[in-house]
Amino acid sequence: MTRKEVFERMNEVFRDVFDDEDIEVNDETTADDIEDWDSLEHINLVNAMEEEFGVKFTMGEIVALKNVGEMADLIISKLQ
Amino acid sequence: MNEYRFEDIVSREEDKANYTRAEFTVTVTAEMMRSFLDITGDVNPLHNDDEFAKSKGFSGRVVYGMLTSSFYSTLAGVYLPGKYCILHSVETAFRFPVFIGDTLTVSGFVKTKHDTTKTMEISAQILNQDGKKVGKGKILAGCMDE
Repeated sequence: MTRKEVFERMNEVFRDVFDDEDIEVNDETTADDIEDWDSLEHINLVNAMEEEFGVKFTMGEIVALKNVGEMADLIISKLQ
Repeated sequence: MNEYRFEDIVSREEDKANYTRAEFTVTVTAEMMRSFLDITGDVNPLHNDDEFAKSKGFSGRVVYGMLTSSFYSTLAGVYLPGKYCILHSVETAFRFPVFIGDTLTVSGFVKTKHDTTKTMEISAQILNQDGKKVGKGKILAGCMDE
């Protein structure tokens, strides 16, 4: 799966979780850019990403992420 | 009170026969309706005026949907997972009216476990004494660490 394909699927997950069809995430997107991205939605987002890509994160990996680009890289590393 | 830890929980996804589930029964009383009115201030006549409810085709005043749904708090906080529960969210739907005196069976099972976030999705439903599904819910709950 290419990085672009991963991003497209991630974008769909973001739209589902935040119930907002206008969301367009990019490498630099952070919680500050999405109004409803709070602690509960963060849990929902992590759960949904694991289900979408069939991967498992560790809490250490999750808390170290600085933006959506790093999340994409983490997912790609687990898919390889 | 149950005291499930996250590690004790088995989701239906993991084991289709022996997954973690719980249920309890409760009878709705007029006193519960009074208490709910005191707490919420919801004076809507469908819930407080028998004659009004009957004029709208019901057999009597209708129990607040949110009172019925409040039993999901008990399901999570007392039974599943119980003592160590952290309730994150509840999505609820009202399927059929509940009346004072109805005996409800509130049940739920763990549909999915998420190890990373230590959360579980609980699929819940409430049946009345006739086996009619009056409500269903989707609960996201976690467990406190030791």
